[in-house]
Amino acid sequence: MESLLSLMIGILAASGTWLIFRPRTYQVVIGLSLLSYGVNLFILATGRLRLDAPPVIGRTTVDPSLYADPLPQALVLTAIVISFATTALLLVVLLASRGLTGTDHVDGREPK
Amino acid sequence: MNAVLDHLIVVPILLPLVVAATILVFNEKRRRLKQVLSLATTAALIIVSAVLLYLTASPTSGAPLPQVYLLGNWPAPFGIVLVIDHLSALMLVLASILGFTCLFYAVARWDRSGPRFHALFLFLLMGVNGAFLTGDIFNLFVFFEVMLASSYGLALHGGGAVRTTASLHYIVINIATSLLFLIGVSLIYAVTGTLNLADIARLIPSVSSEDDPLLQSGLAILGIAFLVKAGMWPLGFWLPNTYGVASPPAAAVFAILTKVGIYIILRFSSLLLPEYPVFAGGSGAWLKYAGMATMVFGIVSLLASRTLSRLAGCYLIISSGTLLAAVGFGNAAVTPGLLFYLASSTLTASAMYLIIEPVERNAVGDKALSIAEPVFEDEYLGGPEDEEGETEIGVAIPATVALLGGAFILVALLLAGLPPLPSFLGKFAIIDALVRQRSAADASAWMMVALLIISGLAALIAMTRAGIDLLWIPNDRPTARLNIVEASPIGLLLAACVALIICGSQTMVYMENTAEELNRPTAYVDAVLSKIATDRKPR
Amino acid sequence: MAETGRFLEELMLTIVLCLPFLGSLIAGFLPIGARTLAAAVAGLLTLIGFAIVVAHYPDVTLGRVVREEIAWLPSFGLNIVVRLSGLSWLFAALILGIGVLVIFYSRYYMSAKDPVPRFFSFLLAFMGSMLGLVLSGNLIQLVFFWELTSVFSSLLIGYWHHNQSARDGARMSLIVTSAGGVCLLVGFVVIGGIVGTYDVDTLLRSGDTIRSSEHYLLALVLVLIGAFTKSAQFPFHFWLPQAMAAPTPVSAYLHSATMVKGGVFVLALLWPVLSGTDAWFFIVGTIGLSSLLIGAWAAVFQQDLKGLLAYSTMSHLGLITLLLGLGSPLGAVAAIFHMANHATFKASLFMAAGVIDHETGTRDLRRLSGLRRYMPITATLAMVAAAAMAGVPLLNGFLSKEMFLAEALEAHSGTILDLALPYVATLAAAFGVLYSLRFIHQTFFGPPPTDLPRTPAEPPRWIRLPIAVLVLICLVVGISPARTIGPLLETAVVSVLGERTPAYSLAVWHGFGMPMFMSVTALVGGALLYLLFRNRLNAATKSPVIGRWRARKAFETVLDFIEAGAEWAVKVLSTDRLQMQLRLLVGLVIIAGMWPLVRFGYQSGTKPDTLIDPIFAIIAVIGAVAAIGAALRAKFHRLAALVLVGVAGVATCLIFLWLSAPDLAVTQLLVEVTTTFLLLLGLRWLPKRQPDFYGPGGVPIGTYLRRGLDFALALGVGLGATAISYAVMTRPAVDKIGDYFLERAYSEGGGTNVVNVILVDFRGFDTLGEITVLCIVGITIFSLLRRFRPAQESVNLPKQQRVQNAFDHEQDTREVGDTLRDALRVPSLIMQWILPVIVMFSFYLLIQGHNLPGGGFAAGILMAIGLIIQYMASGTRSIEARLNVQPLRWAGAGLLCSVFTGIGAWFFGYPFLTSGYRYIELPILGSVPLSSAMLFDVGVFALVIGATVLILIALAHQSIRIPRTRAVDEGLDATTVPGEAE
Repeated sequence: MESLLSLMIGILAASGTWLIFRPRTYQVVIGLSLLSYGVNLFILATGRLRLDAPPVIGRTTVDPSLYADPLPQALVLTAIVISFATTALLLVVLLASRGLTGTDHVDGREPK
Repeated sequence: MNAVLDHLIVVPILLPLVVAATILVFNEKRRRLKQVLSLATTAALIIVSAVLLYLTASPTSGAPLPQVYLLGNWPAPFGIVLVIDHLSALMLVLASILGFTCLFYAVARWDRSGPRFHALFLFLLMGVNGAFLTGDIFNLFVFFEVMLASSYGLALHGGGAVRTTASLHYIVINIATSLLFLIGVSLIYAVTGTLNLADIARLIPSVSSEDDPLLQSGLAILGIAFLVKAGMWPLGFWLPNTYGVASPPAAAVFAILTKVGIYIILRFSSLLLPEYPVFAGGSGAWLKYAGMATMVFGIVSLLASRTLSRLAGCYLIISSGTLLAAVGFGNAAVTPGLLFYLASSTLTASAMYLIIEPVERNAVGDKALSIAEPVFEDEYLGGPEDEEGETEIGVAIPATVALLGGAFILVALLLAGLPPLPSFLGKFAIIDALVRQRSAADASAWMMVALLIISGLAALIAMTRAGIDLLWIPNDRPTARLNIVEASPIGLLLAACVALIICGSQTMVYMENTAEELNRPTAYVDAVLSKIATDRKPR
Repeated sequence: MAETGRFLEELMLTIVLCLPFLGSLIAGFLPIGARTLAAAVAGLLTLIGFAIVVAHYPDVTLGRVVREEIAWLPSFGLNIVVRLSGLSWLFAALILGIGVLVIFYSRYYMSAKDPVPRFFSFLLAFMGSMLGLVLSGNLIQLVFFWELTSVFSSLLIGYWHHNQSARDGARMSLIVTSAGGVCLLVGFVVIGGIVGTYDVDTLLRSGDTIRSSEHYLLALVLVLIGAFTKSAQFPFHFWLPQAMAAPTPVSAYLHSATMVKGGVFVLALLWPVLSGTDAWFFIVGTIGLSSLLIGAWAAVFQQDLKGLLAYSTMSHLGLITLLLGLGSPLGAVAAIFHMANHATFKASLFMAAGVIDHETGTRDLRRLSGLRRYMPITATLAMVAAAAMAGVPLLNGFLSKEMFLAEALEAHSGTILDLALPYVATLAAAFGVLYSLRFIHQTFFGPPPTDLPRTPAEPPRWIRLPIAVLVLICLVVGISPARTIGPLLETAVVSVLGERTPAYSLAVWHGFGMPMFMSVTALVGGALLYLLFRNRLNAATKSPVIGRWRARKAFETVLDFIEAGAEWAVKVLSTDRLQMQLRLLVGLVIIAGMWPLVRFGYQSGTKPDTLIDPIFAIIAVIGAVAAIGAALRAKFHRLAALVLVGVAGVATCLIFLWLSAPDLAVTQLLVEVTTTFLLLLGLRWLPKRQPDFYGPGGVPIGTYLRRGLDFALALGVGLGATAISYAVMTRPAVDKIGDYFLERAYSEGGGTNVVNVILVDFRGFDTLGEITVLCIVGITIFSLLRRFRPAQESVNLPKQQRVQNAFDHEQDTREVGDTLRDALRVPSLIMQWILPVIVMFSFYLLIQGHNLPGGGFAAGILMAIGLIIQYMASGTRSIEARLNVQPLRWAGAGLLCSVFTGIGAWFFGYPFLTSGYRYIELPILGSVPLSSAMLFDVGVFALVIGATVLILIALAHQSIRIPRTRAVDEGLDATTVPGEAE
C-alpha cells in the first residue's frame, strides 16, 4: 500500500515536472496542477496511512490511535485552496500574455 | 506588556487586512476615500511597529525577551503563535517605512494605472508583516502565499506585454517554490510531529538517527525555497526582470520581499543552526560561497546593465548576496554589521526604484499614464474614471533638475556605499568583524572584503554612466516637473538613510542586541513554549 | 549663554568646516541670475573661515595640535575628529585664502548666461570637502571628505555639461579619483587593523608598529595608489589634462592649489609613519621622478595654454612626491615648501591663462602672440608668475627648487636612482624653464596676433586683482623668505617631523655651490633649447616618445572592455528563459533534497507494508496512467489532457477517501470541477497547435538532448519523491501535535469533525490567510481581465456558433442566437431546477461542517458552482441582466466577517480568534453547534463564493466583450513599461 502510494506520488511528481519544462504555457499549467496533486498526497502521507478510520470523533473521550492524523488533512485543505487560487491566476495570466504577445510560449516569443 | 499592548502584536497583520477588505466593499469610484484610508493605515503601521520596536528594545523588566501571542488562546506548540523580538521588530519597521513611502508615491499617479491597487498593496503589507511575526512554519507558508499573491497583482499592475511576460515567469517560479515549501514543511512535520518553530528547535536534538536524513532533506528543500525568494544565484534571474518592469511603487516595495527570504534564513539559522549546519557555517559553508557567487553575478550584471531599473535590480541581488555570504560566515561578530547593511540597503534600493521614473521622465519622456487607457467599451463599468478630472495629485516643485540631481547623486553614493553613508557603515562593520580577529580572516574573508569594495566601485561606475547620460546629455525636452507627492517619499527614504547615519551608535547598539538575541535561541524557545494561555476558554 | 559661548569656542574649527557647506546650500537656492549675490555670500563665508583659521595660528606653533572630537561610533573607533596641526593649518590657509581670490576671480570670469549660483554652490561644497580632508583627525573621516572632493570636483569639471569633453572629463576624473579613494580606504582599514585605531594622532605615534607589521606593504601600496590618483601622478595622471574642460577658475583652484594637493598632503601627513623604508623610497621616489620628467616633457609639447599648465602641475607634483619619497627630513621640508609655492604661482598662471582665453577667445599657443601690447599689466603679472614657475631667483619657486637640487645631490641609498638624480633633476628643471619661457614668449612677445576670434584688450581691473595678489606673494616670499613664509613653514615642518626637524636656511643666496650651478645650467639650457626648437615645437601635434602611449585611450579601452566583458559574463552566467530557470531550480532541489539521504544513508522504516487493497490499487494505477497520459498529450490535445488531469484529480479524491479523509475528498472534488470549468473557459483563447512545428527538417538534435535532460530531471524528481514518501510512510509515527487536536476537538473546540475544528479554531489563522489569498487572486484576475485582449485569430466567435448565427440571420422569423438557445433549452431547464438543490446542500455543508465533513470552503465553492452553472444555462448576458452579483462586495464582506469574529474575542479579554460555542436544538436540523467559529466559517463561505464567482464570471465575461477601436489598441501595443529606457 505504502509502496503503491509512494509510486503514485512519484509518477505524479515526475509527469508534472516533465510538463513544467515544456515551452507552452498550457503545458506548464497542467504540469503544476499534477504536481500539486502529488504534493497533496505527500502531505497526507506524512501523517502515515490510516485506512477506514471514522471521519468524525465521538463526543466522549477520544483515543487518538483510532483516528487518522487530522493535522495533515487540514494542511492539505489549505494547500488545495491556495493551489486552486494560484492555478486560476496563472491561467488568466497566460491568457493575457498570449493575448498581448500573440504566442503561448512561456517566454512570450517563439524560439528562433 | 499590559493587555492592550499584548494585542498590539497582531495589529500589523490585522490592520491592513481589515482596511483592505473594507475598501473592497467600496466602489472603485471612491478613490479619494481609498487613498486616504490606505495612507492612514500605512502611517498607523509605522507608529505601531515603532511602538513594538520600542517595547522590545526597552523591556519593562529584566533582559529583553521575545514577546509571544497565542492566537485562539491555544498554547504552543498546538496553536499558532506570533513572536516579536528585536529582529522581527526591526523588519516590521522597515516594512512599514517602505509601505508608507511607496504608497505615498503611488498616490501621485500610479495607483491610477490599474484597478484595486490599494487593496493589493495593503494585502502585501499584511503578508510581509505576517511572515515576520509568525512562529509557525505552516503559517509562515500561508503568509508567504498572501505576500506572493498580492505581489503577483502588483507586478501585473499597469499591464502591458513586457510586464505580463515577466510576471508569468515570476508566478510560475514562485508556484513551484511554494510546492517545495509545502514538501519541506510536511517532511519536518513527519519527523518532528510539530509545526511550531520553537518546538522544532527543541525537538531536533532528540530526532532519531534514522529520521535525521529525512529532516535534513526537508530543511534543505525548505532552504532552496527561501533562497529563491532571496534571489540567490543561480535561482534569482527572475528578480531583476520582474522588478525592473514592475511599476515603480510596486518595485520599490518589493525591495522588502527579498529581505523576507533573508530574514527567514537568519531566523532558521539562529534557531536550528546550533543543531544543524544546514543553512550556514559548519559543513554547509556553501552558503558563504553561494552568497559570494551571487555578489559576483550581481556586480557583473550591474556593470552590464543599461537601464536604471535593471541597475536597481542588480543592486538588490548584490545586497542579497552580501547578506547571504555574511550569514554564511556563521560568525557572530558579523551579524550586527549584516543587520545594519540589511536595513540600509533595503531603504536605498527602495529610494532608487522611486527616483528612476522621475529622472527618466526628464531624459526619455513620460510614459506613465498611457497604460491606464481603457481597452474595452465596458471596461470601466463600476471601474475607475478620473472623475476628479485631473490625472495627477500634488503640485509641481521648482528647481526640479537641481533636486533630482542632488537626490540622484545621494542615491548613487548610497549605492556605492561611500563613507559615512549607512551602506558603508554596514559594509565597514562586516569588514571590521572579518578582519579584526585574525582567526576568521582566512582567504574567504579577504575575498569577501574585496567583493564588498568592488561592488561599491561597480555601483559607482554604473551610476556615473547612467547619471551622466540621463541628467547631463542636453535634450530639447522641457524639463518634466517633479511632483511634490513623488518627491517627498524619496526625500523621506533618503532622510531615513541619513537618520541611520546620525543615530549610528544607537542603531548599532540595537543591531548588537539583535545579534546577541539571535545567538541565544534558547531564550526564543523558552519564551514561546513557556507562554501559558489565558486562564479559561469562554463558554 | 556662557555655556553656549564655550561650546562654540570648543567647536570653532567644526564651524569653519561647516561654513562652506552652509554657503553651498544658500548659493544652491539662489535664483539663477544672482551672480554677484552668490559671489558675495561665498566670498564672505570664506573670508570668515580664513580669519578664524588665521586666528588659530598661535595654537599650532611648536608642533602643538588643536583637536575637536565628537563621538559618533566609538565601538568602531569612528569619531568625528577635527584636527588642526601646523601642516593642516598651512593647507587650510591656502584653501581658504586662494579660495577667496578664486571666488573673486570667478565673479568676473563666469558669464551671466551660465547658472552661476550653482557654480558657487559646487565650488563652496568642494572647498568644504577639501577643508574637511586636511582637518580630518580620523582616517575614515578623511576618506569620506576625500571622496566628497572627487564628487564635487567632477561636478565642477562637468559644469558646462552641454559639451562632450566636459562630460568625459568629469566622468574620468570621478572614476579614477574615487577608485583611488576606495584603495585609500582599504589601505586605511588595513592600517587601522594593524594599530587598532583610526585616530591620526595615535597613529602618528605608532610608526614602528606599522612599518614592522606584515601587512605594511599592502597598506603602503593601497595608500599610495590613492594618493597618486589624486595627485595625478604617473601612471594615473591622464585625468588631469582631461579635466581642463572645466571653467578656468576651477582649474586655478582644483588643479593647482587644492585638490591635486590632496594626495601629497596625505603623503606628508603619514610621512612619519610610512616613510623610511626601502619600499617607500623606491615606489614613491620612482613614481615621483617619472612624473616629474614625463610631466615636464609633455608640457613642453602642449599647444593649449591650460594643457601646458596641467602637465607642468603634474611634473611639479612629481617633484614634491619625489622629495617626500627621498625620506630625508630636508626632503620633507623642501616638499612642504614647494607645495605652498606651487599653489601660489600656478594658481596665478591659470588665472592669467583664463584672462587670455577670455580676451582673445583662444588658448592655442600657435595663434597667440605679441599680446603684451594689448594687455601689458596682465603680461607683466604672468611673466613674474611664470618666472617663479621656472625657478628664477628672487621668486619663491627658486627657493624650493634650490632645496630640491640640494637634496638631489645628497646620497640616500647609494642606488642607481641616487646617481641619476642630480642630472635628472637638472634636466627636468631645464624643461621647466623651457615651457615657462615658451608660455610667456609665445603669448606676449613676437608680432601682433593675426587670426584671433576677438581683438584682445586689457581686462577689467577687478579680474586682475587676484592675480596681482598671488604674484605679489611670489615676489615677497622670493625676496625675503625668512621673514615671510619662514615661521609658517617652520610650524608646518615641525608638526610633521617633530624632533627630527633638520636645520635649514631660507636665505635667497647660498653662495656659489653645486645647486646654484645646476639651476643656472637649467636656466641657460632651457633658454637655449627654446631658441633652438621653438618653431619645431609649434609644429608638434603630440609629445614625442611618450605621446604614443595614451593613458586616456587605455582608460577608455579598459572601461569598454569591462562593460563588454560584463555583458558577455551576464550572458554566460544567467538566462532569461523560464525553462532554464526551472531546470536549474529542480536540479538544485534534487541535489539538496537527496544529499542528506545519500550522505547519511537512506533507509525505509520498519513499519510493515499495509496489505494492498485491490480497488485502491486500481484507482492508483488509473490515476498514474492518467497523469502520464496528460504529460504526453498536453501539447497537441489540450482537451484530452484536461480530461486526463481530471481523471488524475478524481483518483486523488478517491485516495483521500480511502485514507479516511472525507473532507479532502469533498473539497478536492469541488475544486476539481471548478478548475475544469476555468480551463475550459480558457482553452478558447489559446492558439491552434501546428503539429509540424519544426517543419520538414524534423526535430533538431538539440531538442532531443533537451528533452533527454528534462526526462532525466523528471525521473530524478519522481524517484526522489517516491523514495522520500516511502521512507516517511514506513516509519513509526512520532508523537505529534495532531493527537492534541483529536483529544480537544470536541471538549474545547466544540466540534466532532476535527479537521474542520482545526481549520476554524485551532489553526483558524491559517484559514484566514488562505481565504485572503483567494480574495487577492480574485482581485488580481479581475483587474487583469479588465485589460485582457485576445489575440487576433481568437477574437471572432467559434466556427460552430458562427454557422448557427448565420443561419438565424437568414430566417427573418428568428433572431441571432436562437439556435443556440434551442440547443440548450433542455439542459438549461434542468440546470435552473438544480440550483435550489445546490443551494440547500451547500448550506447544509456549511452548518454541519463543524461536526460532519464539509465546512465553509466546500459550501462556498459548491454555491459558486451552482451560480456558474446558471451562467452556462442561460448565457452570460441574460444572467448579468437578471441577477446582479457583486463578487467583490461578497469577498470583502466575508473577509471582514471572519476577521471581526476573531477580533470579537478581544472584548472578552482573549487573544485574537479565541472561539466560544454553544449547542442549540433546532427542528429538523437537530442540535446545531452555534459557535463563534461558525461565524468565522460563514465569513469563509461568503468570501469563497465571492472570489470564485468573481474569477469564473470575469473569464466567462470575456467572450461577450467588444474590443475597442483598434486605434487605442495600437496605442496600447505601443505602450512600453515606464522605467525602461530603450
